[in-house]
Amino acid sequence: MEPELAIALPAAGSACAAMLKTRPKAAVVSAASLGLAGVAAIVVYAPGSTSEQLGFAFSVSAESRALVIAAAAALALVVALAPLLVERATLLTWGLAGLSGMVAIAAATSIEIVILVVLALAALQAAAPGKRPFATRLRGPVLAATLLAVAAAAARSDGPSILSRLAAVALVAGLFAALGAMPYIHEFDAEERTATSPVPWMAFIGPVMVLAVLTQARALVPSEGAAVGAMMIALGLINMLWGSVASWRTEGGAAAWHYSFMADWGLALCGLGLAIADGRRAAVLVLLGIVLSRLPLYLWSRQALREKRPNDRPINLLASAMLAGAAPFAGFAARVLLLRGATQLYWPLALVIGLGLLLWLPPSLRLGRSLGLPRGRQAWGVGIALAVNAAIGLYPQPFLSLAGL
Amino acid sequence: MIVAAAFTAWLGAAVIVLSDGRRALAIGLALTAAAFSALAWAGGEHLAAAAIFVGGGAAAVLRSQTGDDVWGVMPPGSTPRLILSLAGGLLALWIATSLMTGPGAPARFAALSVLGLMGARILTETKPPALLTALSALALSVAMVSGMSGAGAGPSPYIAAAVVALGVSVVHAAGPDGA
Amino acid sequence: MPSLALLAPVALPLAAGGLTAALGLAGRRPGRGIAGAGAWAALLALFALWIPVRSSQELNLGPLGFGAGFDLRLDGVAFAFGLVILVPAAVLLTLQPRSWQEGTVAAVGVAAAMLAVEAGGVLLTALAGGTAATLAVIQLDIEDIRAPRPPWGVMLAAWLALSWAGGILQVVGGTAVYAAVPVNALTAPVFSLLAAAALMASGLFPWRGWTAQLWSRPSLRAAGMAVVTLYPLGFYLLVRAYEMGDGRYPQPIFGVALAWLGALVALGAAVRSQAVATRRSYLGEVIPGFGGFVLMAIALGTTVGLVAGLVMLATIAVLAACLPLLPDRPGPASLLAIVAAAGLPPGLAFGARVVGLEATFEAGDFLGLIGIAGIAAWVISMVAAARAIGLPPGRGRPATETFPRVALVLAALTVVAGPALPVLVSAVAIPAQVDVMPAAAGALGGGLISVATHQADHPALTHIAPFLLLGAIAYGIAGLVGVPGRSGRTEPAPPGPATEGAASPLKTLRPPLFTMPGSVALKKLRRQVRRATVPEQYRSIVNPRSLELAAAGGRPLLWLAGLVALAYAVNR
Repeated sequence: MEPELAIALPAAGSACAAMLKTRPKAAVVSAASLGLAGVAAIVVYAPGSTSEQLGFAFSVSAESRALVIAAAAALALVVALAPLLVERATLLTWGLAGLSGMVAIAAATSIEIVILVVLALAALQAAAPGKRPFATRLRGPVLAATLLAVAAAAARSDGPSILSRLAAVALVAGLFAALGAMPYIHEFDAEERTATSPVPWMAFIGPVMVLAVLTQARALVPSEGAAVGAMMIALGLINMLWGSVASWRTEGGAAAWHYSFMADWGLALCGLGLAIADGRRAAVLVLLGIVLSRLPLYLWSRQALREKRPNDRPINLLASAMLAGAAPFAGFAARVLLLRGATQLYWPLALVIGLGLLLWLPPSLRLGRSLGLPRGRQAWGVGIALAVNAAIGLYPQPFLSLAGL
Repeated sequence: MIVAAAFTAWLGAAVIVLSDGRRALAIGLALTAAAFSALAWAGGEHLAAAAIFVGGGAAAVLRSQTGDDVWGVMPPGSTPRLILSLAGGLLALWIATSLMTGPGAPARFAALSVLGLMGARILTETKPPALLTALSALALSVAMVSGMSGAGAGPSPYIAAAVVALGVSVVHAAGPDGA
Repeated sequence: MPSLALLAPVALPLAAGGLTAALGLAGRRPGRGIAGAGAWAALLALFALWIPVRSSQELNLGPLGFGAGFDLRLDGVAFAFGLVILVPAAVLLTLQPRSWQEGTVAAVGVAAAMLAVEAGGVLLTALAGGTAATLAVIQLDIEDIRAPRPPWGVMLAAWLALSWAGGILQVVGGTAVYAAVPVNALTAPVFSLLAAAALMASGLFPWRGWTAQLWSRPSLRAAGMAVVTLYPLGFYLLVRAYEMGDGRYPQPIFGVALAWLGALVALGAAVRSQAVATRRSYLGEVIPGFGGFVLMAIALGTTVGLVAGLVMLATIAVLAACLPLLPDRPGPASLLAIVAAAGLPPGLAFGARVVGLEATFEAGDFLGLIGIAGIAAWVISMVAAARAIGLPPGRGRPATETFPRVALVLAALTVVAGPALPVLVSAVAIPAQVDVMPAAAGALGGGLISVATHQADHPALTHIAPFLLLGAIAYGIAGLVGVPGRSGRTEPAPPGPATEGAASPLKTLRPPLFTMPGSVALKKLRRQVRRATVPEQYRSIVNPRSLELAAAGGRPLLWLAGLVALAYAVNR
């Protein structure tokens, strides 16, 4: 029953927060209680076990469970350290809705359910007040859903071998479209609220969605594992290059953050494409870094970005190091694993990845500065995000064990 | 009957592609839902068929009550949409019958044609009512894809699709171009 | 002693850093004492752990999760490098005032550097070394973000290269633990990576590297700590490579190439130092010059060379503590520091260099030529030292961070420690050499009085001590009244309010000994390359802004094109 509760309780919490928005205190208390109960359900859940109590089969893998817990922790951190009560209620409304969708995606036993949840989340996000037009917000996720559905149709039909190859192409393209990674970058508006921007697709829902789709892909196109891996590595490298260079050179500070998520995703997708244990471990560490550190830092940088007051304090420098994947942060451990995994597969790939890793520094220095001078709760938040990331970097084993790796 | 249902699904999708008014959009969605329901029923998935029928039908009813109260079929400048509907249908037909082999070609054609046309509609459209209608039909077609698996996915994707189709129909866009 | 105690040299500075941070966050002023005490305590712990046993001690705390285990090992190499890091770090942390942020980062940096040398395997060293590098860069930026510092990209590249080398060792040989790596796993490509990491980590290049550039910063607090924690780590990797290769590098050519590079590094530093405009600039070239000699000696692949390299590294450690404490003004401290750095007898630098150069000749053949290059570098650096005595002091820096008396004592220690060379060799260098390089019988020996190599016996105490005596007599007779720096041959600088010595660059009246042929042309070329821009008429070919708009505009047509391209690429 735990997966069902983990879906329903955060959804109920989100609904409560939305309905009680005129009474922020009640909204926060009720939503937080329901959200915590949902998280507790997923924490006590034994990964891999199937629950069919409502007629639907639900099963969450250890990797997805770890990322859901990480996302919940990130949400708790951001909500707890938000400066205003109203802001907390809004964060809870959107965060818990996303969390509920994430668990639904993670627990889905067929790719169609994943696609349908993506469509539901896309509609929900597109309907919210925001700067970008409704149609623009829908495009990326709908393209992803269409491509994934085409992939499922092609994979399930008998026919020539090109069908399964096309299924693999559509699957990978669908994944990238869902994330909003190169070449399917979702239009980004720097002035838009984070909840309605493309960022949640990359930094909140994306990690679980990619793992869920790839789990389904193994069953859908078992003979195309090599092609899927090759495409993911190739597009991953393109995203690494594009994301880091664009993040460095783009004019807008918020856009730089958006591209930096892309660069990190490039790394994670390379790891997942390697299809060996080290690659997967590297990817999980990068994804944990995205959810637990990069996303909160992005949220806290928004104010400073608006006010255009970059800073070079020690905390900014530490944040830069963390974003660049320098030791002792999680990015470094992930890079070590990725290099080792790439060496096992094909050493020139490790060389290319290794050279690509150096591109992270210039944009990271820029992003670190863009945090401004964090004060009060925000300073504590940045400190906690850095400490958690350093803990993952120095001793990733417990986090990887949580993910079953 | 199955072949007729498959072509009806395509027709429904084509109507959604070609129309801007709420009446035609609702009829397109209703046609698609009814066709999918018939195909699911023919495949022995009775619960799934009922779910699609109820969800799709309710979504069509809701659609008929919001938006501009006009038909809006083939407004001026619809030639590309017409070509899209015909070419999309033909392409789906070729893929479902020639490229893909084995039993269930009508269901494949229905699912692929609706999937492709609705995807294209959403990627090229800007008005929320048409987008939401296409989204509902897209959700229903995703459920039909699950029926293509040999083992059968059970009714859960159909029920989920019906819920999504219905849920999407109650959405009101609040963005800068919101309805 | 329980093996958990092996954590002490790492944990103590870490705890000091934590305490400093906690007090700082609480609004108290933690001062310099805590960080300094942490470093001294770590040094004491190192002695307490090593001296009673004088053999390897290990601690395995299980896997960390990224391929490395938390394996610590205290052996001769770790002890020697631990001393090289901790002694100057303790001195600098105790004396120089720092903000609590700087103190925290510096103390944690020392802990990271200690972890790098105590690590049992390549990957843990990479993580710890990378951490030390990150913290050093941050510390330098906290102090002054505009001042020169090591390029962060190079630092990151160094430790990533080492990580990759560790990864390859694990893939090829099954382990990256220093003591367990199969000899055949250390292949030429792996060693190339490791050597590249070492050279980048320590900035061992013939041109003016970060170690020299740091000395042009307005303040030398962070610079000193960066040199102390980072500079030895590159050499550490080269020494550990011997352990992995069972006492040799995978190909003899590596040793020759690295030794030549060392000679070039030393020559480069010497050539630059004879042409500098200020004494501070000269002092900036001291450590790179020494580093060249160390690289040359270590890379020879002989026990004598390795031991000489380690002793020179110990000399660098003392100088790294001394130089940041020197004020930018003439005086006995500056004079003695220059004497110590130049390698004049009876200094420790002199003895170590003699042994190192002799090692090149003992190695024979082609390597003898390297020794000649080394001698040339030494001669030039001596001339440069003589010239530096009369140079203007430099830009000046806060008086609170300079300690002329302590610098004087440290420099004097380096000078008078020459006769103690055999003690250093026996107590520190030989135990380290034994751990990584099996010695042939009679290859290296000695005791408290002499150092015995293949072809010679150097009675250091009896030969060098008389120089010391003569020096003392000369000092007694002449004193230090006639220091050229005070003779008025330089244009005096207006003293700044918070700085000691000159506050602005001064013109030197001493021309350089010689200029490198082609250096002017090279400078001109570099200037032209820097100034090069894309001609106006070609700028429209690549417009990054348009490219960004096209790629990130969310256009379905582009998405479709991407899909077609992907399908074509996979199915062709």
